[in-house]
Amino acid sequence: MDFELKQIESLPALAQQLFVAAGECKIWCFNGPMGAGKTTLIAELCKQLGVQEAVSSPTYGLVNEYRGGAQQAIFHFDFYRIQSLAEAYDMGAEDYFFSGDWCFIEWPDLVKDLLPAQVFTINISILEGSTRLIRTHL
Amino acid sequence: MAIILAVESSCDDTSAAIAINGEIRANRVATQEVHARYGGVVPELASRAHQEALVPVVQAVLDEAGLTLAQIDAFAVTAGPGLMGSLLVGTSFIKGLALSLNKPLLAVNHMQAHILAHFIDAPRPAFPFLCLTVSGGHTQLVLLRDYFDFEILGQTIDDAAGEAFDKSAKLLGLPYPGGPLVDKYAALGNPKAFAFPISKMPGYDFSFSGLKTAILYFLQKQQQHDPQFAVTHLNDLCASIQHTIVQILLHKLQAAALDLGITRIAIAGGVSANSGLRQALQQLASAQGWELFIPDFQYCTDNAGMIAMTAHLQYERGLFADQLLVPDPRLPLQPKPQA
Repeated sequence: MDFELKQIESLPALAQQLFVAAGECKIWCFNGPMGAGKTTLIAELCKQLGVQEAVSSPTYGLVNEYRGGAQQAIFHFDFYRIQSLAEAYDMGAEDYFFSGDWCFIEWPDLVKDLLPAQVFTINISILEGSTRLIRTHL
Repeated sequence: MAIILAVESSCDDTSAAIAINGEIRANRVATQEVHARYGGVVPELASRAHQEALVPVVQAVLDEAGLTLAQIDAFAVTAGPGLMGSLLVGTSFIKGLALSLNKPLLAVNHMQAHILAHFIDAPRPAFPFLCLTVSGGHTQLVLLRDYFDFEILGQTIDDAAGEAFDKSAKLLGLPYPGGPLVDKYAALGNPKAFAFPISKMPGYDFSFSGLKTAILYFLQKQQQHDPQFAVTHLNDLCASIQHTIVQILLHKLQAAALDLGITRIAIAGGVSANSGLRQALQQLASAQGWELFIPDFQYCTDNAGMIAMTAHLQYERGLFADQLLVPDPRLPLQPKPQA
């Protein structure tokens, strides 16, 4: 499914549409160049899941853990800085992916072999100005 | 007299240290040097790699201090924040040692240890002082009234300062971790060549995400006319970006210092190695009449020496943990009530 986001104010509405499009799938992969807004989108998704704290980028720490409504766990990954699949394996990535909890994954390319069969993929591309094209598939 | 063995394994590095009566006698991070002693290369990976690196690095600090495990009075470990898998390796190991040798256990907050690293060597700041902790994963401005009496004045709402460096570097086509490279090229460029926006956050909070987007748009625009723009203007771009990140940090630091009337200023964390930040901070300090404190570099990056120092202060105050200790990846920085 394709969505075009023209201004940041429409982000909450987009997030709602994404939850509908993903159905039951809780493992989401986010692709897009640096500055496309992956972390910004994830911050909005987390907010809608009831996370109250600040959602920040986990590039250095690899994974952030948040608690949403009803204390549900949400894991936010950023695999930008890892060099190999072995590093993701060593930090226990699989344990998170198969935990049944929400997983929002930035820079998922290197870990695709560790992911469950069904993931919800979101590709963000930058059109002119601040417009973004969001293309999703299950 | 207390001899404390401390272990830090919150992220990539595995480190051990020994404090004798609050003095750091050995502080090592598992590196090729340590690996070489044990005839193998230990890959610098997270949890599973910590397991391999831990015993050699602990043995290395015991040897360096001329001690055996039986002489250790208390065992200390980073309880968070950090990666769950990595923290579990350290806490399980230290709990095992404390239990088997029947010695007390100390649980240390990694972010607090970054700040209390200032008490390892002279000159040590007197209270109250302000500490700006800047690293790859954290950016925090903290007011210290006493060792365990403090207040977080502000922190980043998105990227950490170290990430802002690394991600800007990525936009410029530099490899990870790009922070030190930005620092290197910045020294050759003009910090006023390009103006990037300084985020306006309420209070003493920081934001670096907007800077990233501003750099992206700026480069896209320039590269329409000149595809090689980032290459031919690398030094000026690095200098201007570094200048902007440093200004974002120093604006808040200066505002807090003025508002609270504090003239003792400390910085901590790995980004405090950045020469642009050091230079600007030193200039600001002399202009403002601040007394400035920067720990030795080995105590700025992730290290067990700072854990041992903090553990010693907790030991003196009877702030012990027990065998029910569970690491917390999101452990908040909060004052400890005196025992």
